[in-house]
Amino acid sequence: MSSEFITLHSWPRAILHLDADAFFASCEQAIHPELKGKPVITGKERGIVAAASYEAKARGVTRGVRLSDVKKICPDAVILPSDYETYSLFSLRMFAIIRRFTPDVEEYSIDEAFADLTGLRRNFHGPYSMIARKMQETVEKELGITVSIGVSLSKVLAKAGSKHKKPSGITMMPGREIHHYLGKLPIESVWGIGPNTAAFLRKFGINTAFDFARKDETFVAKHLSKPYHEVWHELNGRSVYPVMTESKSSYQSISKTRTFTPPSKDEPFVLAQLSKNLENACIKARRYNLAATRLIVFLRKQDFTDSGAELKLTCPTAHPSALFNLLREGFDHIFRSNTLYRQTGVVLAGLIAEASVQYTLFDDTAQIEKMSKVYDAVDILSEKFGKYTVRHAVSLPTKIQSQHEGERGDVPQRKQELFKGENNRQRLGLPVLNVMV
Amino acid sequence: MRARLTGFSPLSFALDSELSFTYNVSMADEQKDEKLRSRIRDISFFYHTKGRMPSFSEIGELTGLQSKNAVSKLVDKLDSLKVVGKDAKGRLIPRSIASPVRILGSVEAGFPSPAEEELADTLSLDDFLIENPDATFLLKVSGDSMSEAGILPGDMVIVDKGQTPKSGDIVIAEVDGQWTMKYLRKRGESVTLIPANPKYKPIKPKNELKIAGVVTAVVRKYK
Repeated sequence: MSSEFITLHSWPRAILHLDADAFFASCEQAIHPELKGKPVITGKERGIVAAASYEAKARGVTRGVRLSDVKKICPDAVILPSDYETYSLFSLRMFAIIRRFTPDVEEYSIDEAFADLTGLRRNFHGPYSMIARKMQETVEKELGITVSIGVSLSKVLAKAGSKHKKPSGITMMPGREIHHYLGKLPIESVWGIGPNTAAFLRKFGINTAFDFARKDETFVAKHLSKPYHEVWHELNGRSVYPVMTESKSSYQSISKTRTFTPPSKDEPFVLAQLSKNLENACIKARRYNLAATRLIVFLRKQDFTDSGAELKLTCPTAHPSALFNLLREGFDHIFRSNTLYRQTGVVLAGLIAEASVQYTLFDDTAQIEKMSKVYDAVDILSEKFGKYTVRHAVSLPTKIQSQHEGERGDVPQRKQELFKGENNRQRLGLPVLNVMV
Repeated sequence: MRARLTGFSPLSFALDSELSFTYNVSMADEQKDEKLRSRIRDISFFYHTKGRMPSFSEIGELTGLQSKNAVSKLVDKLDSLKVVGKDAKGRLIPRSIASPVRILGSVEAGFPSPAEEELADTLSLDDFLIENPDATFLLKVSGDSMSEAGILPGDMVIVDKGQTPKSGDIVIAEVDGQWTMKYLRKRGESVTLIPANPKYKPIKPKNELKIAGVVTAVVRKYK
């Protein structure tokens, strides 16, 4: 069965998917070269594994494991606090390197990208596999991290390819070889197919991606909705998902969550954490000129149970001042005294373009106009002097206790060892190599 | 870019007695003027390179104006400023646009600064210090083995991982498991790392030499 060709055309399109290997841990190994070859784990400040290097993965460490358990299975692991500033710099550079090869690059996540290579063979005087290898080598040479690459006819196939061989792998899947790979790919591992859909498809005897690709279109149209229909086309080598070269300019919702240690039962402190999240979410919404129509607040207790509340706004906004009353209402509804909380979160949902907001007769437009000016000024000040130059007083108690105290309260090295002229808020935008010379 | 700016020098302004200058203009007016001025510059550039006036739709393309109506309003404005004129059929004819000095004069608010032109050829300190921004890292120096080369403990060095190290470069290298910063000397097959401080001895790698990057600059901030 698996010997049937999906298509005979080798490269009608050439879509590349690049996935950095254990990205956060690899960045740490790149700036701390003495850690190369050692089990490295990031996420110290959170108490759980955020990323594990391949050396740590080989010892059985996986994402999300508690650090106390890590010490049992891998006592010699080097556990570091997350240094998102450095990871973001590496991410930007990785995308910049990919853009040297093709302008059609989609920044899919911090450590993943799609790129359209179609038609570039002549320009590079070589096959697509050579372009992929050069890209991989450049990233490794200039950034000191390894990446895995898949190249095939569509995004879904390319993504399957980059997962096929890790770390530092290159998997080329031309049209006439797709079926070899799909026959071995379990249906739930296909990008876009979740556990429920996979279970549903198994009832029809579809166990692998190949089984699914081979089903005829009437079956797909009858039993599945449009997104899965598209995945089916993509698996058959017909590219329907475009490589989105524009950076994300809009959001459906924006969420901000923060964990703090030790956990707290202090009402003003927990509320301050929540309001800081609200301020952050609003900053992001304003950056994209969006306004929220719904506000969701939630609190996570020490035992990891959540309670939340969803509130509807009478007037869409991205101004914290207009949202504090609702936030307080939601908070009072879910906050219980004498309970330890470890995390708070805010979601701005039902986002609409700020320009399309229609005010009702009862809205005080003069006041709204005034607040817009205030927040414009706040945003300008933040840009000039760093984040939180001006903030709401209700968020101030977050300053009493640092976000994470005690052993887990480690701050990344980059924020501790500053160069003359740098400060807590603003540092030079280049990663720092940590070697003693 | 250069060619279209010739003839706009302050000297030729000062000599032209027909010009009238407006000095105290408000910020908003200044922005408006700047916009109009840049549009005139675009049209003038078109006229001087192509040897003819642009059509209405070409003006739309030049200025980014979407509708013919907006272009028409612009043309009327330029007509009133005697920058362009219209013939009997409504086609554009060049007036002061034919001699670039006058056009600028009629809407210019003050002398164009000679600095403006020159600034296009300057480098930022970033571009000056960093050649390959995607492959450049910072490093804080701790030892004194390069002191005679002017690199002292506490200095920040700029390290480029993208460059191929050449003999004579200062490099960051790992020799037999130890990290160091030294001059790289290549003689045929042999590679030696040379310190710039007589207190230290040259290093000949026994087993392995890995070069992490080339030092391209040193930064020392005093205040």
